[in-house]
Amino acid sequence: MAVCAPASLYLKTEIMKVSLNWLKEFVEVPADARRLKADLTSVGLNAESFQAVGEDVVFEVEVTTNRPDCLSHYGVAREVAALYRKHLAPLEFVCKESSAAASAEASIEILNPELCARYCGRVVQGVEVKASPDWLVRRLEAVGQRPINNVADITNYVLMELGHPLHAFDLTRLKGRRIIVRSARPGEQLQTLDGVARTLAASDLVIADSTRPVALAGVMGGEESEISGDTRSVLLESAWFDPATIRRTSKTQGLHTEASHRFERGADIEMAPVALDRAAILIAQLAGGEVLRGVIDVYPSPKHRTYIELRRSEIQRILGAEVPWEEIERVLRTLGFKVERRGTEGWRVTPPLSRLDVDREVDLIEEVARHYGYNRLPSRVRPAPTRLAAGETRSKELRISNTLVALGYREIIPSAMVDPAENARFTDRPPVVLENPLSQDAAAMRSSAVPSMVHTLKWNLDRYRTDLRLYEMGRVYSARDASLPDERRVLVLGTSGNREPSTLHSKETELNFFDLKGHVEELLGCFDLSGLKFEPSDAGYLEEGVAGRFVAEDSTVATLGRLREDLARGYKLRQAVWLAEVELDVLLSAALRQKSFKPISKFPPVERDFSLVVPESTAYGRLEETIRGLAIEEIQSMTPVDRRPSGELPEGTIPPGHASLLLRITFQSPTHTLASDEVESQSRRIVEALEPLGVQIRAQA
Amino acid sequence: MSGSEADRRIPNQRAHTRSRMSIDEKISKTLNDLDAISPEAIGELFGEVTSALESERKALIAAGAGDGRERSQKVKDLRDRWLARKGGLVSLIDENWLKKAPKELKPAVGRAFNQLRQVATCVDTESLLQEVRVQADVPVRLVAHAGVEFTAEVIRGQDLTLPGYRQPMGSIHPVTQVMREIEDIFLGLGFSIESGPEIESVYYNFDALNIPESHPARDDWDTLYVNSETVLRTHTSPVQIRAMEKHGAPLYILCPGKAYRHDNPDSTHATMFHQVEGLAVDRDISFADLKGTLDYFARKFFGDKIKTNFVPSFFPFTEPSGELSISCVFCGGEGCRVCKESGWIEVMGCGMVHPEVLRHGGIDPERYSGWAFGLGVERFAMMKYDINDIQLFHQGDVRFLEQF
Repeated sequence: MAVCAPASLYLKTEIMKVSLNWLKEFVEVPADARRLKADLTSVGLNAESFQAVGEDVVFEVEVTTNRPDCLSHYGVAREVAALYRKHLAPLEFVCKESSAAASAEASIEILNPELCARYCGRVVQGVEVKASPDWLVRRLEAVGQRPINNVADITNYVLMELGHPLHAFDLTRLKGRRIIVRSARPGEQLQTLDGVARTLAASDLVIADSTRPVALAGVMGGEESEISGDTRSVLLESAWFDPATIRRTSKTQGLHTEASHRFERGADIEMAPVALDRAAILIAQLAGGEVLRGVIDVYPSPKHRTYIELRRSEIQRILGAEVPWEEIERVLRTLGFKVERRGTEGWRVTPPLSRLDVDREVDLIEEVARHYGYNRLPSRVRPAPTRLAAGETRSKELRISNTLVALGYREIIPSAMVDPAENARFTDRPPVVLENPLSQDAAAMRSSAVPSMVHTLKWNLDRYRTDLRLYEMGRVYSARDASLPDERRVLVLGTSGNREPSTLHSKETELNFFDLKGHVEELLGCFDLSGLKFEPSDAGYLEEGVAGRFVAEDSTVATLGRLREDLARGYKLRQAVWLAEVELDVLLSAALRQKSFKPISKFPPVERDFSLVVPESTAYGRLEETIRGLAIEEIQSMTPVDRRPSGELPEGTIPPGHASLLLRITFQSPTHTLASDEVESQSRRIVEALEPLGVQIRAQA
Repeated sequence: MSGSEADRRIPNQRAHTRSRMSIDEKISKTLNDLDAISPEAIGELFGEVTSALESERKALIAAGAGDGRERSQKVKDLRDRWLARKGGLVSLIDENWLKKAPKELKPAVGRAFNQLRQVATCVDTESLLQEVRVQADVPVRLVAHAGVEFTAEVIRGQDLTLPGYRQPMGSIHPVTQVMREIEDIFLGLGFSIESGPEIESVYYNFDALNIPESHPARDDWDTLYVNSETVLRTHTSPVQIRAMEKHGAPLYILCPGKAYRHDNPDSTHATMFHQVEGLAVDRDISFADLKGTLDYFARKFFGDKIKTNFVPSFFPFTEPSGELSISCVFCGGEGCRVCKESGWIEVMGCGMVHPEVLRHGGIDPERYSGWAFGLGVERFAMMKYDINDIQLFHQGDVRFLEQF
């Protein structure tokens, strides 16, 4: 079974090879290969491709997990019969038996009937093990099976034909000529056909002889009882095992075989003796020998299926269409279902034992719909009658991404998986460690989104793209005691290189802290965040002195700065990178800033430049806060135009430890033209208010 | 122009007379002499002057070759003829037309004259020399820039064919673009958007979706585990259950988001990818609603020309289950490599919500029914933009991002 590339839902699917000539042994196929491919697909057997192999045509068919009955040519032929309204050849194998009874040569016992519902055996004596004839080899090879010897090949042939897994034992190697189906004893050993010595657990079901396990039931035979060149007596096994048990053993032993594949999906218990006869006849034919009289059939409690009510009204409700009575009955009957009409209301339908996937009414409706044809069903568009909150966050997210795109940022969607050691350099929060990661680099779900950004910046810097503005809106995850980890939404900005590209028209200017700060301000400005403050940050991954954060009501909204130098060196970054982490959940829980129009003043603005001398230890933010505190309505804007520390000015210009600051304030009134004495008196208030901060005025223009 | 034939006859005659004069003659006369007493006539006159100027300039440029001295003499002559302060045609127009214009026509003449003065700078020495040189050295040619052809011309020393200044631009990731496009179509149908955790319990990711541990269908998803109870969600389907529990029926939702698989990355597999799932639960929802809505969606997204095809499939959480294919967008249904010669491309899984799944969501399957679909966003983007490697989406390479 091959596993193919993802389809729309990224599901693995199994491919089965189907030979057209083989199909034709059971059903007439009134279509060419191309037509058949399309028609099989239309009933849910997705035929991916077909290919001429000698005089045959081989199809590759995807068989979904629910349809083990189609993992055989006979099963596919049944679908073809329903598809083309043809007759499906019945399976009638009459085995020529010798007079000696099989039961005298071997005995079969089931100790765990709940795990092995049926075990059929036949004995063939006097076989000659050799290579299979050409026709058999060609058939097997056409459907992707490797020939081994005639007896093994026949069991494979019957598997491909009827879908029932068989196993052949060398009877003389079964101690006591006994078959006992039982649970393994913990620690018991078995060397399987693949040469692996396996230690078994109590949950494994085994086929044992009188002393030891000889096969892993429904999965693989053992080496010691294997058919070899010396084999003369064969015990053929055709059984039915509990799907969950086979699945567990196959998983714990890491052994997936054609047999386990079918048993774990549910084999057809009624096919067991049929497949057994088919194989016995072929062995007698191709390997000589005689089939002993009788099938040893241990079937303690024969299985039955109960009927399912199928209501006409339900077909109408689910499919939205009336499907004709005759059509419903024809489809179900051809597929092997027993159909009993119940007045005008509906039917009692009994599915065959080969269709364990069908166990409720809606499953029957699917059977009808498949063969009636999905494309024949009606179609209508019905818009939703109600509307829940259509996602307020969506409009906020759109606002954020629109703002960032306008600022020149490109969105990235990096992987959320990291190396936990790397993650730890950026945050104290524990990441969510995976049990079965693909690699150490992706061993945990990140608790910081910063490393992903650094990686992406590096990826581009290493490829000579040096002017970068990137953002990611994603999640971070952190382990906690609750049943599910914590998931938070974050926005990360990453920049590097020049503010403007170096071109004929522009000089290159390197980005700095204030570019990033401006971008974050622009972003936060979209929201109604009360009491927003800016302060230095002590985030460990940022370089001290160029790291800050915005705080609103005691929670951090954004942290930004330059990546710490030693970290940058560790990543071998060619140039400085700037990073901002925005707490998206905080931002999205705030309202978008209300837009309300303020009338535009008809009166002229007045600009005043204040040339100040400021102690270097006094932050500009304090000045601005102080001036804003005066609540002068006429102040339209306040812009620091120039700032120089004393060291950059001719000696004696300003006292050491101070900086000169040119502050431009624009005054404007909505009601009248400002008189110069009004501006003067406000200016005086400003200067007086600044004095306690140690600010002196140099000149005022 | 308006008016009857009769009104127009006389000015036309005058114009006819005027037209026989050379441009120099006209400039030597006053507007009154020329009978140009309407704004239209003045416009016409100035038009003649401008075209004379242009044709003389072109003639000079066309004959541009020749030795340097001869060339500069010609340039000087043309410049002097038009722009000389004394006796140049422009100043003559000023003298004869503008200054002597009747008062009521002055503003119109003034405007036209100012325009002419602007245009006439094209025959100043510098501009002319530049062009004659270009003409002499390089034949006039067309240059293509951003798909538009321009004549390579340098006017007054300005080479306007230099590339424009391009601001650094931002962009939205193609996956987000496709996701929003899908969302918009369903929002238009009245659906709402729901989201849920990416690290999900085994119950929501599998059991509630009718995928029990004991069934081989569980193996159809290669799963990344946090522990035996917790997984990285392998699809966005768990959001359906959560939404059913939270809102009940009727319910019309879209669940976009990330999903994860234990897959080694290659050109068609990604460990992380995006899905959009849709779910509609209501009374009397049938397969017809599924078909109609998804057909509408596919046409909206891929274009009205595509055809849709529904075939049976299997998902544990839907019954009946289907796969929606669209006629191949690459070959138009003729059959090509992309659609494996079938003419169809599978684009999404869909089906009627399994009664057991409705029950797990707290909804009575006898009263309500529903349909659902799921699609891979990267796959949609790959089809839409002809992208051949899924890994490109998550590398963040600017050379990729800037194409969208």
